[in-house]
Amino acid sequence: MVPHRPDFWGIPAEWNPTLWVYSIMFLAVFVLVFRFFQQARLWWKVGRPEVRWDHPGKRLGLVFKYWIAQLRVLGQRYPGIMHVAIAWAFFVFFIGTTLAAIDGHLFQLFQLLGNQNAITDPEAFKFLKGGVYLVFKLVLDLFTVAFLVGAGMAVYRRFVRRPSRLTLDSRFAFSLVLVIVVVIGGLVTESLRLAVVRNDASLAVGWWAPAGFLLAQLWIATGASPEALTNWHMVIWFIHLGSVVLMLVTLPAGTLIHILTSAFNTFFAKLDRPAGKLAPLAQNKDGQSIFVSALRDMTWKQLLDGDACTECGRCQDVCPAHAAGTPLSPKQLILSMRDTFHENAPLLAQSANGGNGKLVGEAITGDMLWSCTTCGACVRECPVLIEHVDMIVDMRRHLVNEGQMGGMLQEALAKLGRYGNSFGQSERARAKWAQPASLKIKDARKEPVEYLWFVGDYASYSAGLVDITRKTAEVFQRGGLDFGILYETERNAGNDVRRVGEEGLFEALVEKNVEAFAKSRFKTIVTTDPHSYNTLKHEYPSTDASRGRYPILHYAELLDQLIAEGKLKFNRQLGYKVTYHDPCYLGRYNGVYDAPRRVIQATGCELVEMPRHGDRSFCCGAGGGRIWMEEDLVKERPSESRIREAVALDGVTAFVVACPKDMTLYRDAVKTTGYENRLVVKDLVELVHEAM
Amino acid sequence: MDIAVVVKLVPDLVEELAIDESGAALDTSYLRLIVNELDNHAVEQAILLKESAGGQVTVIAPDLEGVDDILFTAAAKGADRLIKLTGAMSGVNNYALSNSLAAIIREIKPHLVLTGVQANNDLDGSVGPRLAALLGMAYVGYVSGVTPANDSVKVRKEYSGGLVAQVAVRLPAVLGIQAAGKPPRYVPISKIRQMSKTARIKDQPAGDLDAGNGAAVKHMFKPEMGTHATMIEGEADEVADRLIAIFKEQDIL
Ligand code: SF4
Ligand code: SF4
Repeated sequence: MVPHRPDFWGIPAEWNPTLWVYSIMFLAVFVLVFRFFQQARLWWKVGRPEVRWDHPGKRLGLVFKYWIAQLRVLGQRYPGIMHVAIAWAFFVFFIGTTLAAIDGHLFQLFQLLGNQNAITDPEAFKFLKGGVYLVFKLVLDLFTVAFLVGAGMAVYRRFVRRPSRLTLDSRFAFSLVLVIVVVIGGLVTESLRLAVVRNDASLAVGWWAPAGFLLAQLWIATGASPEALTNWHMVIWFIHLGSVVLMLVTLPAGTLIHILTSAFNTFFAKLDRPAGKLAPLAQNKDGQSIFVSALRDMTWKQLLDGDACTECGRCQDVCPAHAAGTPLSPKQLILSMRDTFHENAPLLAQSANGGNGKLVGEAITGDMLWSCTTCGACVRECPVLIEHVDMIVDMRRHLVNEGQMGGMLQEALAKLGRYGNSFGQSERARAKWAQPASLKIKDARKEPVEYLWFVGDYASYSAGLVDITRKTAEVFQRGGLDFGILYETERNAGNDVRRVGEEGLFEALVEKNVEAFAKSRFKTIVTTDPHSYNTLKHEYPSTDASRGRYPILHYAELLDQLIAEGKLKFNRQLGYKVTYHDPCYLGRYNGVYDAPRRVIQATGCELVEMPRHGDRSFCCGAGGGRIWMEEDLVKERPSESRIREAVALDGVTAFVVACPKDMTLYRDAVKTTGYENRLVVKDLVELVHEAM
Repeated sequence: MDIAVVVKLVPDLVEELAIDESGAALDTSYLRLIVNELDNHAVEQAILLKESAGGQVTVIAPDLEGVDDILFTAAAKGADRLIKLTGAMSGVNNYALSNSLAAIIREIKPHLVLTGVQANNDLDGSVGPRLAALLGMAYVGYVSGVTPANDSVKVRKEYSGGLVAQVAVRLPAVLGIQAAGKPPRYVPISKIRQMSKTARIKDQPAGDLDAGNGAAVKHMFKPEMGTHATMIEGEADEVADRLIAIFKEQDIL
């Protein structure tokens, strides 16, 4: 006889378990849905509207990738395996239980529909029997084992290793213990049954349920009678049922709510723009700008972010501001918002002016917001696609509007407003570096060129960078590039002005630059500055309808092209052992990883990667306008931590950068860390220049 | 407390200054005019006073390039009325300016007149004391911070040698501001742009600009650069030898 799935084995049929088990489960699920809905309605009751329903297909794709496949979670080995083992086991248990329910009751449905066969031969409507049933058992059992491994890892991590990024409190311990009780309850129930039915060919499954089978041997070895085991089975079965019910009804109020909210959060993730493009200031019905300082100013999706946060701390772990000892932790930022939300949302939802819900200046301080470099590492790391940077910039816009900022930043903005550069120098000094007659740099305003070189503030004004800027010009010339610059008409591109939250100034700078572009003739823009690159590429309007959007190249990409086309030839192989720092706005924000690496290799250097490289690169600390701000809250500069990372690489003598600001910061950091004799900071173009 | 603030525009020293063909004035073709920083502090002080004691703030500035922006910025900070003094304002001296200003201020009847204690293009003294004389009001200069009291104000004044005085000044009065109680605030560009659409600037003809019989610039020039010091480098002995040689050349030894 083939084995089949028994229904409510060991529970007296006269108790009518089908009726009351389903009633209880139905009630539990109802409580779950009701409580969840009560929480969820606050998102749109309190938050502003925002369209996140478009492209449902794409959105389901995100859910699959990040909620089911959990690619982000898997990005880190230990916590990745740990979580996926638990989560996938639960997915499988959920599917298995559903299949079991269908298997047990499908015939009843057909009976209700008046199907004669279903009345005469209900067994024909069962599919969990024979080979299918054995595979079913095997899969469930293997995932039980996987779960136990994952749960063991979680227990070890939470109670023994206790990494600082975790929230070590009882809410999480409760959830972990509860799911373990649920699964072990199920396993013990199964094994007790298998111990009793071991000689019944219609129910025994042997090694097809390996975990259950092994555990059953233990019960058999105790020598207990089948009756005793059956009684124990009933007790444990009740505990299992009770723990499942407890899990369901407490889920919306506990930490397990992330199972639901993360599904929603990945579904409603940002699709309308690339990471490098910020949304303009939102406006209310009357056309007034909305500055975000309180819960009501947030969109419903931002509020959902708070409830979706799993408190995993991955964002905090990679945050340069947190590592530097500033008061900012992206995790805490999201949680502060969430806690304020939970505290005030019910009142806020009741009446238009009830409750408080102020965020900025209360749970979220200016110091936290100003500490962010907008490096995007948190966003890259977050397994549930929370959008920290957008929220931070939104709140900075509020601070700027209120004039609440440090003196240095205020001065930098004033200079940018007056002179179009943060150095506070005359625009007529912008092209001073190009003065040596031998350079002969074309004026793109006066003659047509193929490439417009957008030089940027640092490469133009910083005295320490003049040499590199000139070398860049020479390399371009030797590569036969037809290029020109805008001379005193160029303005700061505004990337960091925008990220500081000075939207009006950003718009003014864009206007000026776009006007200058319109008056010059060129085909492509090239820049050495990843920040300018990002905003030119994503945030500038395509002004000239006839030309469309100008292609924008970073010089790493251009050099890579020139080398590939054979236009840049090298006479020397440098043979240095170097490492390369991915600038946030080139790498993470724009995915340019390979071009600079190919250029380095072409110059004959050996590239050794730092542990944090590619999209996991560690910010230098200057982005998002941080370069214009006080450093009094910074304990260890991110740039110094980065230099230490590079120095630890065996035999590396040069630290290659592809951003003028990086040059400034890392040159400094090499000095302050005392590694001047070990490491030189080199611009990508210096390698190229030297190898020519 | 109603306050009138006088704001001057001065050459921006970030730009290289050039002298025009007459040889007695700055070449204006490349000149950029900006708000006199101390006047900016005067505006800030006025707004701070308004915030703590109420009243109206009127900002008056001569009609020169960039003045609208300066006035709109003041409005964005909280100034209530903006007045632009029209006429041949380029190169006007403080004597003439003060006469025109006094006429306007008499009409406004403020309790307090604030202005920067000096400006980089003052030739014939600063505006403050002359205004005070014309208006018959008290004057205190080099003020860094003003707090309101009933019909007077308390001003903070720093003396050299690290002494600070608190001075009670009966109103109405003119104060020459060196620093506002708090550094001037930042005004986001969007607010200034908004003001440029909503705020109104009143044009007020300066009338007869009588420069008086005071000083006039005859000749303007850049000072001759002194000869540079020479650095002597090398070992101590070499440096000593070199020094002795130089001293001998100069007949010092
Ligand atoms: S963007 Fe970078 S600095 Fe800002 S919170 Fe995220 S990780 Fe931290
Ligand atoms: S914001 Fe994302 S990465 Fe940070 S703790 Fe929450 S879930 Fe984890």
